[in-house]
Amino acid sequence: MNVVTRGIKNAVRSPIKTGAIVLMFAISIALILSMLVARGSVLRKVDEVKANAGTSITITPAGIVGDQGGGEALTTAQITIIKNTANVSSVTSTLTDRLGTTDTNLTSSLALGSFGARQQRFEAPNSSASESTGAAHPAPTSRINVTGTSDPNSIATNGGVLTISSGATIDGNSSDNIALVGATLATKNNLAVNSTFTAYGKTITVKGIYTTGNAFQDSGIIMPIATVQTLTAQPGAVNNVSAKVNSSDNVASTVATLKTTLAGKADITSQAEQAATSVSSLESIATLTLTGVIAAAGAGALIILLAMILVVRERRREIGVIKAIGGSNKKVIGQFIVEGLTMTVIGAVIGFALGIAVSGPMTTSLVSNSQNSASTTSPTRGGGPGAGGFEGGFARAQSQLTTNLTQVSATLTPQILMSAIGITLLIALLGSAIPAWLTARIRPAEVLRTE
Amino acid sequence: MLTVDKVSKSFTTPGGTVHALQDVTLSVKTGEFVSIIGKSGSGKSTLLSILGALDTPTSGSIIVDDTEINTLSGRKQTTYRASKIGFVFQQYNLIPNLSALENVMLALEFGGYPASSRLDRATQLLHSVGIEEDQQHRRPSRLSGGQQQRVSIARALANQPAYILADEPTGNLDSVTGKKIFDLLHDLSRSQKTTIIVVTHDLDIAGKTDRTFTLQNGKITTK
Ligand SMILES: Nc1ncnc2c1ncn2[C@@H]1O[C@H](COP(=O)(O)OP(=O)(O)OP(=O)(O)O)[C@@H](O)[C@H]1O
Ligand SMILES: [Mg+2]
Repeated sequence: MNVVTRGIKNAVRSPIKTGAIVLMFAISIALILSMLVARGSVLRKVDEVKANAGTSITITPAGIVGDQGGGEALTTAQITIIKNTANVSSVTSTLTDRLGTTDTNLTSSLALGSFGARQQRFEAPNSSASESTGAAHPAPTSRINVTGTSDPNSIATNGGVLTISSGATIDGNSSDNIALVGATLATKNNLAVNSTFTAYGKTITVKGIYTTGNAFQDSGIIMPIATVQTLTAQPGAVNNVSAKVNSSDNVASTVATLKTTLAGKADITSQAEQAATSVSSLESIATLTLTGVIAAAGAGALIILLAMILVVRERRREIGVIKAIGGSNKKVIGQFIVEGLTMTVIGAVIGFALGIAVSGPMTTSLVSNSQNSASTTSPTRGGGPGAGGFEGGFARAQSQLTTNLTQVSATLTPQILMSAIGITLLIALLGSAIPAWLTARIRPAEVLRTE
Repeated sequence: MLTVDKVSKSFTTPGGTVHALQDVTLSVKTGEFVSIIGKSGSGKSTLLSILGALDTPTSGSIIVDDTEINTLSGRKQTTYRASKIGFVFQQYNLIPNLSALENVMLALEFGGYPASSRLDRATQLLHSVGIEEDQQHRRPSRLSGGQQQRVSIARALANQPAYILADEPTGNLDSVTGKKIFDLLHDLSRSQKTTIIVVTHDLDIAGKTDRTFTLQNGKITTK
């Protein structure tokens, strides 16, 4: 028999009491562990979503989406501001326009359809007022979309390099009358590489044929932005800017800066910002679970502390006797620490087993509950008919994001295990050292007093 | 040789200061068997706890074999209790979840006895106070009061102390059993030259000791 065996023996002295304490402690340890696991998994997901959200920012003139809306396009001065904004690494400018039958010799490869007819109903030649001016409106036909861009790849719907089926891509910084023609439009008008067509009264040379897999894009024309600006007599005008930020960490601050520098003149959106809104519910789970960890740790410490204080009170006399017959304070304290540690170790083992078992379901239910409430409030954005690839891409990314977010898998990483063990040890030491220290203050003279 | 010189002890209680001992002076020779009698509340237990370094006097000094124990450090006092003093209490005060044997071995551990020989020594001690093999492995709750007191005497004797301090060792026992316990202590003082100081209410027992001190309101009245 020594201090250690006496401590262990005392811990199992009254099995029911010890069992109850151990069980309560185990539950708080299980909570700590599962909360830590949930937190770790959720935070990993948040990082993943943020990292994948990309670093591009879309800037459109206020009131304009694609070819729709009204207001002023972005100016050269504004583009310069964007280019000079800190952390902006590259800028792709786009100016879109549509060719009517009077503007070109090409025939649109898109059927007007009921949708197109409705979009162009205002231009139908139905008023006498127009006859009196002598300027007859053309019959409604589908228009040909023209995209002037500083980077032809920005049209690619897959977010990568534009697929050129024949010929070669064009330089977005050129100002020549050259174009890439969508595959369907080329077929419709029998265009091949080096063919020419007329637009805005000028002869344009086809440099390549592209495919995107998107019917709208494949019926369009891509030209250098400067060319479109000149042909449409809108010098410097831009109706869509895609700016890349050097790091995902800087997206939010860059958006904020642009919102002030372009105040009121432009609408600014970023995937990262939208991702941030989407993961905000996950982040609140992380906060919630942290609170849970702290609360469970506090409860666990309190359970052990109170249990040990009760034990010390109950055994005042016994402690006095041990001191009276020559037991040192060190031995008494040691014995009580061992007793407390025995209970906490048993509790921790049960708690860890329990925690590992419940951490999976707990993480899943925490995440799915929060996502159910979040998805009803999260805004859905879609692209207009002329909105181009960016908006459509956003919508896709957005819906992917929400389905992805519910798929948080609970994983017990070594770090989480280590921190759970650390917290448990801290609780165990605190919970048993304080009461053990109380034993040092018990006066041995007490043993001579009759109860 | 144990000398108590002008020892006073007072307690501060919510109701005022209690003077449990006032200028107590006495001395006990080595191997002597003395008794302390007095009414309840006269300070007997208080005096015994000061002699055993369980408590410190408010003033005065206690010199045990040339050592002034009341000025010793806490650790030295613990060693003093473990090696020089054997306590016997009215309520036996055995550790409830340890067997008779383990209770004795606990005292041996505190006295610095080598672990390997503790079991043999405890068995032999219990045997000498009349606790037989089958009783040695029982917990205190499964022993009679007289048997428990024998175990506690064995525990007190464990480290061959120079002094045994017994506070009403027969107080909870019937007169026949009490007599046996007293005889046991008496034999010890004869055979081992152990100095025994026993507090008692029993004047019969007191009459059989070498000397009797009477305490009255914290003062020694007769020597
Ligand atoms: N820790 C304490 N705090 C306050 N008063 C105390 C304390 N210990 C003892 N006293 C008081 O000191 C006085 C002497 O007490 P003590 O226990 O020494 O008496 P006693 O002679 O042993 O009595 P009994 O025969 O009933 O055991 C009593 O009045 C008691 O109330
Ligand atoms: Mg008393």
